[in-house]
Amino acid sequence: MFSRNWRVLSRAYSQAVTFRTSEISPQHQNDKQIGLFYTLKQDTCKELFSNGGLPKSFMKQTKTFTETTLMIRQPALDLINCIKSTDFNKPVIRYVLYGEKGCGKSLTMAHMIHYAYEDGYLIVHVPWVSEWLRRVPRHKEMSNSQTREGLVDLPLDAAAWLIHFKSQNQTLLKSSDLKISKEYVWSKREKTESGAPLSELVEHGIARIKYACDVIDALISEIKILSNNKQCKTFVAIDGFNSFFYPLTRLNTPTKKKVKPDEVTLTKSFLELTKNDWNNGIILLSADQLAVPDENQDSYFPRYLLRKQGFEYLDPFVPIEVGRYSDKEFLSCASYYRDRLWLRGPPEIETELKFTSACNPFKFMEQCAPL
Amino acid sequence: MSLVMSFTVKNLLPATICSIRSNFPSSIHKYSTGPSKTSSNVLDHLTDWETLSKNRKTSKAMKAYLERAKEHDEFMKRQHLEFNIGKRHLANMMGEDPETFTQKDVDRAIEYLFPSGIYDPAARPLMKPPEEVFPARKAAEFDEAGRPHHFLFYTGKPSFFKVLYDAAEHIQALNKFEDKVIRKKATPDPNGSLKLEGSVWLTKEQLEQSLVESIKEIEYENFKVVMERLVSSPYAYLCKDFIEKYRKPLAMQRFALEIPKPSYDEEGRAFITTYECLRKKARGEVTIRYPGSGKISINGKDITYFEDIQPREQVMFPLIFSGMQNSVDVECHIEGGGPSGQAGAIRWGIAWSLRSFVEKDMLEKMQVAGLLTRDHRRRERKKPGQPGARKKPTWKKR
Repeated sequence: MFSRNWRVLSRAYSQAVTFRTSEISPQHQNDKQIGLFYTLKQDTCKELFSNGGLPKSFMKQTKTFTETTLMIRQPALDLINCIKSTDFNKPVIRYVLYGEKGCGKSLTMAHMIHYAYEDGYLIVHVPWVSEWLRRVPRHKEMSNSQTREGLVDLPLDAAAWLIHFKSQNQTLLKSSDLKISKEYVWSKREKTESGAPLSELVEHGIARIKYACDVIDALISEIKILSNNKQCKTFVAIDGFNSFFYPLTRLNTPTKKKVKPDEVTLTKSFLELTKNDWNNGIILLSADQLAVPDENQDSYFPRYLLRKQGFEYLDPFVPIEVGRYSDKEFLSCASYYRDRLWLRGPPEIETELKFTSACNPFKFMEQCAPL
Repeated sequence: MSLVMSFTVKNLLPATICSIRSNFPSSIHKYSTGPSKTSSNVLDHLTDWETLSKNRKTSKAMKAYLERAKEHDEFMKRQHLEFNIGKRHLANMMGEDPETFTQKDVDRAIEYLFPSGIYDPAARPLMKPPEEVFPARKAAEFDEAGRPHHFLFYTGKPSFFKVLYDAAEHIQALNKFEDKVIRKKATPDPNGSLKLEGSVWLTKEQLEQSLVESIKEIEYENFKVVMERLVSSPYAYLCKDFIEKYRKPLAMQRFALEIPKPSYDEEGRAFITTYECLRKKARGEVTIRYPGSGKISINGKDITYFEDIQPREQVMFPLIFSGMQNSVDVECHIEGGGPSGQAGAIRWGIAWSLRSFVEKDMLEKMQVAGLLTRDHRRRERKKPGQPGARKKPTWKKR
């Protein structure tokens, strides 16, 4: 009875303040809907983010709320507008998301991936670069590359990414006629014919984990060629991109040698992809403080995080700042939490939370959790 | 002797002497202090002077007392002499004129010559006149024949019961005066009133000190009851002097007096800067600008200067409490200490500066909430032989 009363009350409250929009397709979202939440369809969400892409704490929250909702925010709308007015015959434009910790860079990226999905892009999405270079579980599979001298392979990570790629581009890979342009010989018995569909290449990488890194390399060059030929348009999204330019990784070779990011085959491939020597695509990167160790988190600006090397590599690019909540966004988020019964108590609580969280979305989420 | 006599006179001749006019408290005083001509004549008849002068033998008690008094007098004399010599020496040491060397100069010289960091001022070296150093003694309460001076001598606490007695007299006099006023159908004097808000009754200890007598708890209660009854009379202002002898003024609340007036910057905004905001090891200053929008800057950063929620709440509390969070701008410079110390210092600084911008009742609320109180606690030192300030090593049987 009590809980029902609560529900009725909060329903009434949420109806008083609009915080939701029924516009679920990112293409049609506009400035009027800033600060409003839209709901991702369950199966779309599963397709796009089942293998990573949403931050872990956010995943937990979506599980609690039994729905995946994203807030429509200014940076994402700006990006969509930019993309809509882009000339795809010109070399690709690189966008770099930056901002303080917990301000929603990854979620803005997720929003953009949803947009790309709805718009029929081929999505090349790396959920979190540090997962490869900085996170060392007990059994990190590493091997020396056989095709390229002096480089290190991360076959398991590569295969996992291939699965992610496959699930994100299911429909496109199944239906379309994306063909391989040249023949790849893996070993004496295994090879992939030219003219075979792209999915065959991916399947091969997943089945033969040993060649996963080489498959990714091949895949990326194929994607570039396909895009150049206007057979598909490509959306590249890499979260935590500045990890590639940090001088050291936390990986060790079996001979206890420290590995630099340049010595990993995956780095080579994805750096190749982010060059602007191809067209008919979009590249969205993010520079994140969390992707580098604590002692190098003094500033959140791209020049500092990407270092000189990365900055020169990416130049020219379009920086896009993801900031803290504005008053309107904060209010809408608070009413969303109230609707989900995640936040209770008197209305004064919001003033205090606004102050203590300093309008930082992640802090706000964290502080609401025990309330 | 005179006290005793006046007592008898009053009892014998109430009607002739105590006319209605003389019912004022002042006249009562007169009676109790000095007997008039007429009364002394009456006394001559009443007192049996012959028998008294016959046994003019000094009593044993008097003898013992005289001895003790003599000893004490000599002692005090010696002390006085020593004090005066010491004072002259001190004056010479300080290179000043011994004749014009006052007690104030003595205190200053002692503080200069014997600098002391002892926390309790009472424990620091001092040089005071002997009367202040040695406790006062009661003078002889009886004459040479062993007859007590005081009419209440046999109560054992003459001065205390004298106070109650006087109070009762005053009450009676006031009642009579009231009756008279009613009979004459006069209106009470509107100007006469007693202001008791700013003072309290003497505490038991203070009363004991002023009476040079020890009193019991219940006696102190009785004192208070009688005095309250006296005060409750509408004409209590007539015996104001008597009442004020037993009251002590309260210390005025500090902030009520010293709230600074804000100054104005070039944009015309009022601002107040509080220097020396201290807590633990943190030191800083806080500036508050009045028409503002709730901006906070701490060492050039916003509230994210503090990572944790606890210090942020500390900074927020005075603003939320006074409801000023959206109408002032806060600027702090703080250094030293850790986050909680810094946050505490800022909290105090904000509350202290806000005094100039809030209403009086809010000020009192803030006082009650403890916002205007400095937190003087410091880190307690580690003790040798144990792992921390208070922590003892794990007890182990062997």
